[in-house]
Amino acid sequence: MTTATGTPGSPLHILILDDEPIVCKRLKPAFQKMGYEVETFTDSASALARLHETTFDIVITDLKMEGADGMQVLTGAKESSGTTHVIVITGFATLDTAKESYRKGAFDFVAKPFKLRDILDCVKRIEEKRRDEQAPDAPLTV
Amino acid sequence: MHRSPCDTEPRMFPGIRTWWQRLVTPQPEQPPEIDVWRLHALFNNFKRILVFNNAILEDMARMERALGGEYIFDRAFLETSVSAIASKVHHVTYNLNALTANRYIPLYDRYQEIRTLLDDILSGNVQALAETAVLPLVDLGWELEPLVGMDLVCLAELRHHPGIQSAEGFVVTSEGTRALSAPDQAPAIAARTRITFDEVRTGLAQQLQLLLTQHSHDPFSVTVTCIEDDEEPVREIGRFMLTPCPERSEVAIVPQELVSAGSLPLTSTTVFAHWPTEGSTEPSPAKDSLPVNLLVHCLEQIAQTTAAALVRTENQGGAPFCLFVRTAFPVVLCGTVRTRDVQHLPFDALSISAYPPEHEADNDVYFLRRTHPFELLQSVIPARPDGRRFADNRLATDISVDQGQFARGSALMDLPMLRSLAETAMLLERLYGAPLTVDWELLADATCQVTRIRPLTISSAEAANAANPVSASDQELAKILCQGGQMVQSGVAAGSVVHVSEEMDPADFPPGAVAVARVASPNLTPVLQRAAAVITELGTAAGHLATVARELRIPAIFGMVDALSLLAPDTEVTVDAGETTVYGCIVEHLLRYGAREMDLSPLDREYRMLRRLLRFIMPLNLVNPEAANFSPQGCRSFHDIIHFCHEKAVDELAHFQDRRSDLGAIRTRLMALGVPMDIRVLDIGGGIAPDAGREPTPIHALSEPFALFLQGLSRPEAWTPEIPALGMRDILAGMPRSMNMLTASADTLGANLAIVGRDYINISLRLGYHFSVIDAHLGEDSYRNYVYFRFAGGLADTKRRQRRAHFISAVLAAMDFKVTVKGDLVIGRLKLVEIPVLRSALVALGALTAFSRQRDTGLYSDADTSELFRCFADGFLGDFRSPAAPRSLGAAA
Repeated sequence: MTTATGTPGSPLHILILDDEPIVCKRLKPAFQKMGYEVETFTDSASALARLHETTFDIVITDLKMEGADGMQVLTGAKESSGTTHVIVITGFATLDTAKESYRKGAFDFVAKPFKLRDILDCVKRIEEKRRDEQAPDAPLTV
Repeated sequence: MHRSPCDTEPRMFPGIRTWWQRLVTPQPEQPPEIDVWRLHALFNNFKRILVFNNAILEDMARMERALGGEYIFDRAFLETSVSAIASKVHHVTYNLNALTANRYIPLYDRYQEIRTLLDDILSGNVQALAETAVLPLVDLGWELEPLVGMDLVCLAELRHHPGIQSAEGFVVTSEGTRALSAPDQAPAIAARTRITFDEVRTGLAQQLQLLLTQHSHDPFSVTVTCIEDDEEPVREIGRFMLTPCPERSEVAIVPQELVSAGSLPLTSTTVFAHWPTEGSTEPSPAKDSLPVNLLVHCLEQIAQTTAAALVRTENQGGAPFCLFVRTAFPVVLCGTVRTRDVQHLPFDALSISAYPPEHEADNDVYFLRRTHPFELLQSVIPARPDGRRFADNRLATDISVDQGQFARGSALMDLPMLRSLAETAMLLERLYGAPLTVDWELLADATCQVTRIRPLTISSAEAANAANPVSASDQELAKILCQGGQMVQSGVAAGSVVHVSEEMDPADFPPGAVAVARVASPNLTPVLQRAAAVITELGTAAGHLATVARELRIPAIFGMVDALSLLAPDTEVTVDAGETTVYGCIVEHLLRYGAREMDLSPLDREYRMLRRLLRFIMPLNLVNPEAANFSPQGCRSFHDIIHFCHEKAVDELAHFQDRRSDLGAIRTRLMALGVPMDIRVLDIGGGIAPDAGREPTPIHALSEPFALFLQGLSRPEAWTPEIPALGMRDILAGMPRSMNMLTASADTLGANLAIVGRDYINISLRLGYHFSVIDAHLGEDSYRNYVYFRFAGGLADTKRRQRRAHFISAVLAAMDFKVTVKGDLVIGRLKLVEIPVLRSALVALGALTAFSRQRDTGLYSDADTSELFRCFADGFLGDFRSPAAPRSLGAAA
């Protein structure tokens, strides 16, 4: 069963996936402080299973992980819901992986190490975009 | 002169003979000039060393900056950073050997040793760090944290701070206890540690002997701590007392405090260690001395019992643990500090308990604020029986002692002691990264010492009580005084604003205040030791002051525009460095959650790993190229290696003609300067105009750093004719140096050489009896620019040479150099400042070169030194006196 989020006024629902616990440990409270609902995972299988259960507004995923890698999670997230925005983070950023991420629908591509503020700004941009899309006079998109 | 009947030349001192022989011996023909392609290869190797070194320094700075918490990084970042730096260091080593015909092959070995250490750290193999199994507490550094635990490292760090110190003692590392626990087991083949049982016993004996020499009749306290790097930094297992019997023939091992390892107690019996008598090969112990071997035997028993218990209860093949051994002095008062007490008061406080050791139930509890000046909020003092005498010999019924608004009465502790304990405990919490319980003792000689620290566990009920919804709104209501800039070190702190300048005496800075300065100058380092937080208008997260802030974990924001005008002195503020925000009041809610989960803290494995890695990458230990240890074997870090390579590369070019004469000569040209100094110049590319001819003049200098140096050198007022006359004492003081110079190789006799490139200079000057080096890079990339200055020597006696060193260091400090002085050796470094500042510094150094020659002979008093500095500053440091002139690089992306 997939539950829908994204109703106007509801806090953003964010899924963070990184096999390094320190990343989830530092990102989660930062987003919670901004009022977002956050779930964190350190293995991609669990995250993919969760994505099938719930629609998230934002998925932040590492690229290089054991099992399903970030590209598969990106694809899985976009297949689960077309409204989910995906931010890819990686310590092995290359031009090719960036291009591939954007081609597969990533909202942004962030190289590690990154400033906390940068990722928060990225999420804020998504929030503004979502707000604009949900505005009463926003043009309909098919 | 005495003339031997058989000699045809006068008998002279060997040095004078060498000089005479040089003078009379015909000089060999000059070799042909080096082939141009070989010259290019030579210079390319040299330039590659410069380029790689700059890149390595940038990489190092990036790694070190990550400690501050500004970036979210993971283990992959550490691995790629180490790999990138190591690769470049290897290239530098290769290029030096290519430049010098493989004269430094051993450098590869040293590089590999350090690289392997770093790989071990990344893989979690701590055994390679265990060079010494038993060492004094004060010798612990952060690199040993996986072997001894963070608690002991934090205790050791107290030696760098004024105030209450830790108890003296020694530590047996986890590798040492491993060897002690299995005396018959040879070190594992895979392990590179060479620590053997006998080595540990020898180390124990040495340390125990030291303690016994100072305090032969006191018992010893032994604390056993389990170290598990991943889950919890430390877990205390137990504490024992080693108590000698009056006859000194036995020692009782008395468990003081045992934490059950699993479900079974570690040990609950008292073990007596008897001195062997029959068949013993040891000499009979003196009656009044306690045999060291007896104590060593006791420590072995503790280690072996602990190891067995850990295996039995935790089913592990040897969980690592360490021992902390200290003399247990007679104590008049003891207690604990809880750096966060959320039970008793509706706001954030720390609590200090105090009781006489023989009356543990007779327990005072004091509650103080967690921020300076650690205001006493509440005391809980039990009633004392009439006639009870305190440690300071007062009776309970004595008239209370007025301590400034607080009548002491029957309290066990006075205010100054309470505040001192609070300050030390909060420092430890900051270093550890979490709330702590700190055990303390007051000795009979009124010395207070910290004996151990443990993480403080706050129960969920206590935490719920602390989460006061009313206080959470404090932050929302608090006025933001200023915001922005660059986080240098995350964290939250509060205090009164104090504007600081480089002229301020650090002793005048109120402890616990928030320091606000215009520029993040290295000269503010002593102030940081006393500050709760630091904010500057100008400065970079990669500079020296930033490094100090991260080392001390002082919340710091640099590049906060208009901080001085927005933050008035004496304003009570709360600094949230992570958010680069300053609030105009004390925000209790923020202070309570100061070490936020999103911040990087010493409790994070990645933080500790980064810190360990940096210990073998960043420190520069080899500072003096003339020192005996300036060798490949002396390199203890990657920074040492690249510095060594740089110095040797310059040295190779300067002495190429002598060492590689078979390859031809590198022609240097004598500069036509118009001053009483010769400088020969070697252009490695882009330094001198092609049409300069055989004797270039300053206008031919295309190298900007060289042109600036010459500009200062050529200033007529720097060449004062008033050189003090040499007296007989000066000549006699200089005799040993004269002899050394006469016997030295010809190339060191007065040859001043400038190696210049478009953006680079290295100038080595041998002016009479002193040697100086200026090494600078001044290009478009501000982050790669620097000026390095080194000076040593002189003709006069030691005292006057030191005064000249003091004069030179004062000049460098006035230009914001980071200065090190050892005797008459002065080393200064200036980097990460704006290009105009570097330009002015190079001009000033040119003038200083002329101005300081032979000045040591006239410095008869410190007043002479001050006067000399004033003269130089008035003439040449005007650019550094303008308050409006920006100095440090501003906050940059």
